Amino acid sequence: MNVVFPRSLPELFAALAEPGARILAGGTDLLVRLRAQPEAAAPATLVSLERIAALHNVAEEAGGQSHSLDGVFGPARLPGTLHRVVRLGAACTHAELLAHPLVRARLPVLAQALAVLGSPPVRNMGTLGGNLCTASPAGDCLPPLLALGAEVELASASGARRLALADFLLGPGRTALAPGEALIAVHVPVPGVDVRQHFEKVGRREALAVAVVSLAALVRLGHGGIIAEARLAWGSVGPTVWRCPEAEAALIGRRLSLTALSEAAALVRARVRPIDDVRASADYRREVAGNLLLRLAEL
Amino acid sequence: MPSSKSAPRCDALAKATGAERYALDLAPADCLFAGAFRPGAVLGIAHGRLRGLDPASVAAALAVPGVLRVLTAADVPGTNRQGIVHKDQPVLCGEVIRHAGDPVALVLAESALALRRGLAALRADIEPLPGVFNPEEALKKGAPLVHAGRKGGNLLLSALIEKGDARQALKSAPVVLRGEFSTPVQEHAFLETQCGFAQLLPDGVLDMTVSTQAPFRDRFEIGHALGLDPLTIRVRSPYLGGGFGGKDGSTVQCLLGLAALCAGGRPVRMAWDREESILAGYKRHAVRLRYTLGADEDGTLLALSCRLTYDTGAYAHLGGEVMELGMEHAAGPYRVPNVRVEGRLAYTNNPIAGAFRGFGVAQVSPAFEGLLDALAAKLCLDPLELRRKNALHTGDENSSGVTLTSSVHLAQCLDELAAHPHWTGREAWRVAAPPLTRRGVGVSCVFNGMGYGRGLPDMAIAKVELTEAGDFLIYTSVPDMGQGNAAAFALLAAQELNQPPEGIRLVQPDTERCHPSGSSSAGRTTYTYGNALLKACAAMRAKLLTRAAMALMADEAEALELVPGAVQHRTTGRSLPLAALARFLSRDDRLSVAEFLMPVAQDRPDTGRGFAIGFPHLFFAFAAHLARIEVDELTGRVRVCDYVCVTDGGRVLGRSCFDQQAQGGAAQGIGFALTEDFQVRQGLIQTRDLSTCLIPTALDLPDIESLAVDGCEPTGPRGLKGVGEVGLNGPAPALAAALEDAIGTRLRDFPLNPERVLAALKKRRPSSKSGRESGTNSATKAGPKPVAKLGPESGPKPGLKPGLKSERRRA
Ligand SMILES: Cc1cc2nc3c(=O)[nH]c(=O)nc-3n(C[C@H](O)[C@H](O)[C@H](O)COP(=O)(O)OP(=O)(O)OC[C@H]3O[C@@H](n4cnc5c(N)ncnc54)[C@H](O)[C@@H]3O)c2cc1C
Repeated sequence: MNVVFPRSLPELFAALAEPGARILAGGTDLLVRLRAQPEAAAPATLVSLERIAALHNVAEEAGGQSHSLDGVFGPARLPGTLHRVVRLGAACTHAELLAHPLVRARLPVLAQALAVLGSPPVRNMGTLGGNLCTASPAGDCLPPLLALGAEVELASASGARRLALADFLLGPGRTALAPGEALIAVHVPVPGVDVRQHFEKVGRREALAVAVVSLAALVRLGHGGIIAEARLAWGSVGPTVWRCPEAEAALIGRRLSLTALSEAAALVRARVRPIDDVRASADYRREVAGNLLLRLAEL
Repeated sequence: MPSSKSAPRCDALAKATGAERYALDLAPADCLFAGAFRPGAVLGIAHGRLRGLDPASVAAALAVPGVLRVLTAADVPGTNRQGIVHKDQPVLCGEVIRHAGDPVALVLAESALALRRGLAALRADIEPLPGVFNPEEALKKGAPLVHAGRKGGNLLLSALIEKGDARQALKSAPVVLRGEFSTPVQEHAFLETQCGFAQLLPDGVLDMTVSTQAPFRDRFEIGHALGLDPLTIRVRSPYLGGGFGGKDGSTVQCLLGLAALCAGGRPVRMAWDREESILAGYKRHAVRLRYTLGADEDGTLLALSCRLTYDTGAYAHLGGEVMELGMEHAAGPYRVPNVRVEGRLAYTNNPIAGAFRGFGVAQVSPAFEGLLDALAAKLCLDPLELRRKNALHTGDENSSGVTLTSSVHLAQCLDELAAHPHWTGREAWRVAAPPLTRRGVGVSCVFNGMGYGRGLPDMAIAKVELTEAGDFLIYTSVPDMGQGNAAAFALLAAQELNQPPEGIRLVQPDTERCHPSGSSSAGRTTYTYGNALLKACAAMRAKLLTRAAMALMADEAEALELVPGAVQHRTTGRSLPLAALARFLSRDDRLSVAEFLMPVAQDRPDTGRGFAIGFPHLFFAFAAHLARIEVDELTGRVRVCDYVCVTDGGRVLGRSCFDQQAQGGAAQGIGFALTEDFQVRQGLIQTRDLSTCLIPTALDLPDIESLAVDGCEPTGPRGLKGVGEVGLNGPAPALAAALEDAIGTRLRDFPLNPERVLAALKKRRPSSKSGRESGTNSATKAGPKPVAKLGPESGPKPGLKPGLKSERRRA
């Protein structure tokens, strides 16, 4: 197997146009998977993103450049956002993002997810782009970015395009990436200061544990602590990140009380359809998917 | 002299810098690669009739460039049967596979890549047979037989320990408690998987370097399986990257020996990858336990009766010995006059169970301790007090009828714990639980026998050499799998010979250079070899003083002493460097060899039936453990906040090694009790790699406080006892007790996973305000706190979590 190190996007696209080329970011998913596969299925060339500076940036930009602001779950942007967007380069490692002041200040829900992703070595190697392109229902960056209404920027030799993250993630291990296309960046609208951000991952141990259930929640509180809007996204309870519009709606006009949250939790339990696997039973996932909402009472 | 307190263990630097050479690091560059073909796992078959390898696939494998041989059972010389006590495990299966990891072919190749391709090309034709996956089912009439035609069917061993009349005593006991428990399979998950290399030398010697706990015994196991004279096999065992029992007995050895026999004199290496290690390696026995405990109203234990069913999987390995030790410990470290312990060990088509640190005892500990807590609750007694009341002391008769003439400092362990702030302050800590969190504190009291037990001589032979350079070489015949016995040997020798640490060097076990000794196991490694070593060193010292007398013109050896690097005359200070003295002596004269045989129980009781060997034991390490935990009400997750172990290991030789054994044992026990959850369905391992076999990480473990009581075992080297295993036995019962303290329910099936904890919380929730069902001693336990109140919307909010608060400030 050959590994190439393009230094610019045009070089990257040229390398990806070769038959049997596959992007290698941190390799923490790809190399694990290749090891388990029959040799015949291995790519001919791995194209490393390591040396492409354009993929390693984090910057804050004025909003409004987006091509498609509306995701499937309503408008991508929470009312009251600052009309600012944080652009995260796809090849940023989790550790870089976690240490970045913009991520910590503007996107604590993402920072909380990054903080519990894998372990320090995995965060040093693994990238945001790899996490999204792997499209695992347990990927820790997915629920926060979906709740935030993020968009992905894709590009190939034939041009660039933007998609809502929800439209990018098609199923377990499946994305809207076209052949020869790379994920360049993720654009995240910055929530307003009145939005509470919360992420919790339930794994079977404290580190190096795949999520059994996770919840990203953004709650905008209006006057007197009344919920004006709620965005809830669960990981590991379905084939892709799961949303529950009914529970979100049920919270509007209420306070973040245990009563209101328990009612929303009941809606969640009635609707969520998780599966059994070696890590947890469907029943446990259903129960906990609801329970995790109660933690919002501590916000 | 080397101080036991400050000196780092002698292997620390080489290991920390990566300089230490483990088995595979020593393999020559021109090694061939050997690998086993284990088709059961691929086909999803745990029990099947092997019709054969698909000949076309064998041809395809042999057509892979670099693949040299595809060996099958037909190529195995000798009996093709391995096993330590029972020779029941084929090196390569010819007719039947009995578990999904059974090997049916061995591929020999020029490179790792060729080996991988060759193995990938092979196909086996296997007709599935009905399997049996539950030991209780296995013992029923008509169950599929794991070893067809075997007398006794699937019952490998049934044994009984009977002392007094437990049935009668239970009938008349004022308080009787019952409980059923189960403990899971556990994977050793050592860092260094099973590996080694071997070469058939021109003189016919099979020269092997293997990551093994028992190099001397391995020769006999390999010789029997492959039809070789055991004494033509040389086994070397450099430092192991972990063993925990999983490298006691043949892992790669027989396969590797076979490969070397067929390699035309070239060296061959074999290393199992993590998946193969989990698939084919030995595991801790899963056990079901049914217990009945009888006591007086004041808490004095009167009788204990229990029935234990151990699942040994497809092959015996050390199953009988594991069950024996479990049975011997089944009544806990307590005085119990009437005891009846029934044990049954069954073959199933599950993965092979074998030796694992805490050897059968880790499984019974949560049961006897569980019932002790139930008794404390029922009688409104402090659980620690109840244990103190019944604890064994030196001179007591234990549950097997052995009078403990050895050192027993369990009461001091309990005293130490009773005075610990985590125990005295438990109530205040408990009620200060954060929102949505329950807190609990639990204790446990455990022990672990040392040595092989009666009938199986527990022996070691130490050899010490004064080199020409004037330093000492210790030929350590008992491997160091990481537990620090090599460091202990170096320290013992340095002290006995009065030399600085750099004056002592170690030769790791090598059947050609070292003398035969037992395995690195059973809490006997430092005890037995250490005693032999002290004897050898004392003899060496005496010899050197006498030999130096001439040169120093001293007519009494007593006037001389060993000092670092020299023999010195006490009064005049005249000295002879050891290097100079060495040149006076022939090699034979520079050697000292001594042996030690572990003492055994003299009044061999007639309480045990069915044990061929290994019953009973005389020496035990004891420990009392305390756990403080938090339970999250929303997820059922248990966090271990603090952990304390107080250990009676006799006198402490080296504090850091002692603490590491206590802490490492507790850590492995915490994994066993909480996170690991090894799963097997229909004989097929679901926990196939380390992404699902969740051994605890640094974040899952608190700092583990290790305390030592000031004991002394008079027969031990410098008064020490083996402490390698006892630490593993404490966490399961201590955590179950802490959990019960937190949520009001005793979980008796392990692991205490979030699923079970959440279900228990949910079950109790409706009645959570009415206090606990039994045991209402408010001094030790209050009723469970109600779940977070579902208050009105305007009600007070639970406190902020510090972490979240700071995150928000930044937002
Ligand atoms: C021990 C361990 C623990 C882990 N723990 C967690 C965890 O707790 N939570 C979690 O979410 N994940 C976890 N992971 C999975 C993994 O680390 C993450 O998903 C990580 O973000 C993957 O990023 P990467 O850069 O390593 O991706 P790679 O492995 O390099 O790539 C993954 C896939 O994405 C493609 N790809 C990568 N970048 C791009 C791009 N820019 N454009 C197009 N395609 C691209 C690759 O071709 C490949 O198909 C763990 C992995 C390991 C090995």
